[in-house]
Amino acid sequence: MENNRVVVTGLGLVCAIGENTEQCWSAAVNGVTGIRKVKSVNTDDCYANVGAEVDIPSDKLSDEDYDRSSLLCIKAAGEALADSGYRVNEENSARIGVIIGNCVGGAASIDKYFTDELKNGSGNTADILKMPAAAIANNVAKHFGLNGTTANIVNACAAGTISLSYAADLIRAGKADAFVAGGSDSFSSLAFAGFHALHALDADSCSPFNRSGGITLGEGAGVLIIESYEHAKARGAKIYCEVLGSGVSSDAHHITAPDPEGNGQMLAISRAIANSGLKPEDIDYINAHGTGTAKNDEAEFLSIHTIFDENPRLSVSSTKSMTGHCLGAAGSIEAVLTVKAVCEDTVPPTIGYTDENLETLKEKAGKIDFVPNTKREKTVNFAVSNSFAFGGNNASIVFAKNPREIPDRTNKDRIFVTGIGELLGNPRCEISSDAYKEHNIKMAFYRKLDRFSQLQLISGMRALRDADIAVTDDNARDIGIIIGTADGPMTEIVGFQKNVIENGTANGSAFSFPNTVYNAAGGYFSIFAGIKGYNVTNANSIQAGLQSLCYAADVLRNGDESIMIATGTDENTDTTEYLYDKLGLLNGQLGEGSVSVILENEKSADARGAKKYAELVGWGTAHKSVDFGKVTGSESALRFAIEEACRSAGIAPADVDAVCGFANGIPQVDEIEKSVFSEMFGDKPVIEVKSEIGEARAAASAKQAAAAAKLISEEKYGCVLAAAFGVGGSYSAIVLKKA
Amino acid sequence: MANTEICEKIKGMLVENLRIPADELEYDSELFGDDIGLDSIDSIEIIAGIDNLFGVQMTGAARENFLSIETLAKYVEEHQ
Repeated sequence: MENNRVVVTGLGLVCAIGENTEQCWSAAVNGVTGIRKVKSVNTDDCYANVGAEVDIPSDKLSDEDYDRSSLLCIKAAGEALADSGYRVNEENSARIGVIIGNCVGGAASIDKYFTDELKNGSGNTADILKMPAAAIANNVAKHFGLNGTTANIVNACAAGTISLSYAADLIRAGKADAFVAGGSDSFSSLAFAGFHALHALDADSCSPFNRSGGITLGEGAGVLIIESYEHAKARGAKIYCEVLGSGVSSDAHHITAPDPEGNGQMLAISRAIANSGLKPEDIDYINAHGTGTAKNDEAEFLSIHTIFDENPRLSVSSTKSMTGHCLGAAGSIEAVLTVKAVCEDTVPPTIGYTDENLETLKEKAGKIDFVPNTKREKTVNFAVSNSFAFGGNNASIVFAKNPREIPDRTNKDRIFVTGIGELLGNPRCEISSDAYKEHNIKMAFYRKLDRFSQLQLISGMRALRDADIAVTDDNARDIGIIIGTADGPMTEIVGFQKNVIENGTANGSAFSFPNTVYNAAGGYFSIFAGIKGYNVTNANSIQAGLQSLCYAADVLRNGDESIMIATGTDENTDTTEYLYDKLGLLNGQLGEGSVSVILENEKSADARGAKKYAELVGWGTAHKSVDFGKVTGSESALRFAIEEACRSAGIAPADVDAVCGFANGIPQVDEIEKSVFSEMFGDKPVIEVKSEIGEARAAASAKQAAAAAKLISEEKYGCVLAAAFGVGGSYSAIVLKKA
Repeated sequence: MANTEICEKIKGMLVENLRIPADELEYDSELFGDDIGLDSIDSIEIIAGIDNLFGVQMTGAARENFLSIETLAKYVEEHQ
């Protein structure tokens, strides 16, 4: 039992209701709101002008010149690490990683750069490196000298919960001792203008499960130290509570609206409870997603009633009524408050009910206690935190006061590559209408998609077809997807932002906004393909396409799904060329595309007689903190990722027949590959995919895996290792063998 | 028959803002039906686009005005 115990040993929180966990908790239980008139965004001509901002200037959050999302996160992570008493040193730093949730990366810096650029042509190049979401976990890792696995989970409003779930899963799999895990998002004109355009903002303070007139945006960061019990015990750490099971699912319904029947939400909640070895009757408290939009609140009411109506002591509240909706940080901010609820046996309220509202609530609540206006003091043994996002991504996680054995669902089945789908272009892809016709994708659907989502959709559908997988009602919940990307939908983000700068916050594009979140591509894909399982997008620089195979393999091992699509996707447009040119990088070397690789359990593959390109026998991820944008000095992490992939494959690097490399023509990058590969593999052949497809970033690192699988399937080699790099010092490696 | 100049401007806006392929969009194509398949988010964009182009407010205008480029153009002509 002790082996799979994962615990919370540190908490850090900054949001509109306080600058540390104690302040926030005190405000939350006393029903104190952080919602006020917005200061950081011009709300002229907008029908709403309230928000939940953090009253601390960026330069007071931390000393570095980072985007505000990174700085908020460093502030919360500093509190959490200090609280945990974790002493990071050279010996243990590779065993503590960083997984951070976020919505659209450095939105405030994107606004600043293009405002400077459009108004007087004075955009500061340093702001460009603050734009991608990939910078955030790297910046946190750099600040605290953490060298374990990093990931930036960019699943919009579910990101902060998914990051905790992934951290706990990796610890249970023995991949780390601990994670600094959570989420962060700053207030931005991008989000304000976007939700304003969708008419999804409440003109007053949001009132979840009440008036449900829309959301109120907030900002902040919530960070938890998630640690293996054994490790926490060995260092005599204070333990807040247990992290039990979690559940991640996909609605496959609509890009912005939840499934009104709540099926995806209920799948995430049910999975979390079942994976914890619990029943709905065991749950004492749910910190609801509770955004305050009519569509969310109706669907969540229905989901909660359907699952929990037989539970006589359930309390449900939405702390967003005080913190606002902090998007990528929401799940982790609420996780901190949920942990406190478990520890303090107190449930924070949902505020904002008038006497009249209370009468209406009675009818809607039935037997469930919705904790209106004032806190509830009660025993909280088991608590659930829900997060439901744009793109139909759902995540739930369970925290428990006392140790509890959770079911071991580890699936040790062999894992095979059973399908490959590619769409690549150097420098750009031709996306013809025939590509859509191939898969019967109608114009009414594909015209909604930005380029990033289009690339993803086509490669994913090609992979499913290549694997001969028909998605049906029976298998839809057993199929998931991990998308890796370096730059995400940057073209759509920049286009949306420029329009807001030129035409005002009140004139954001409702058509474009849904595509500005990094997980829109995964959302569209799940809607079209009909897959309803795990659905995560990880923005972690160039290596993210290969890391997606590692992540997908972990999901299969964890027993969550039987088929995973692992993808790398990055676009090349005038916008990406402009940004890389300004940085003086990859001039004329950028490529673009999407490569999807199907990973499948042996049982599933054999049951349907699938063809097998290769067997995935080992995988590993590693990080050595250097400044985001740089690689020099991080080669030890490449070595470590390769060793880890070989160790898990039960081979030595010398047993590898060939290597798929990541060289891209940048001298510092090529030098790292050359020195580490020659040291570990001697004169084994190295296949360089980027010499043909260009630096297609995450698409290229996924292509490395696809190329390796094809070489094996063509019997050119028996065992191939692929390794990829990311700026900031992240690396992934996989080992494929003859099936 | 609505004013061709207005129709052409509206078509350009729909192609640009809603990524509808120009060769699939006729003045009488059914915008929210099977032809083009627009939805409620698109209608927000159309209202903003018409306001930008012609200074005509369509918030709250009856559904039948949104049927096609022709009906939109007719509404614009009558409210300019």
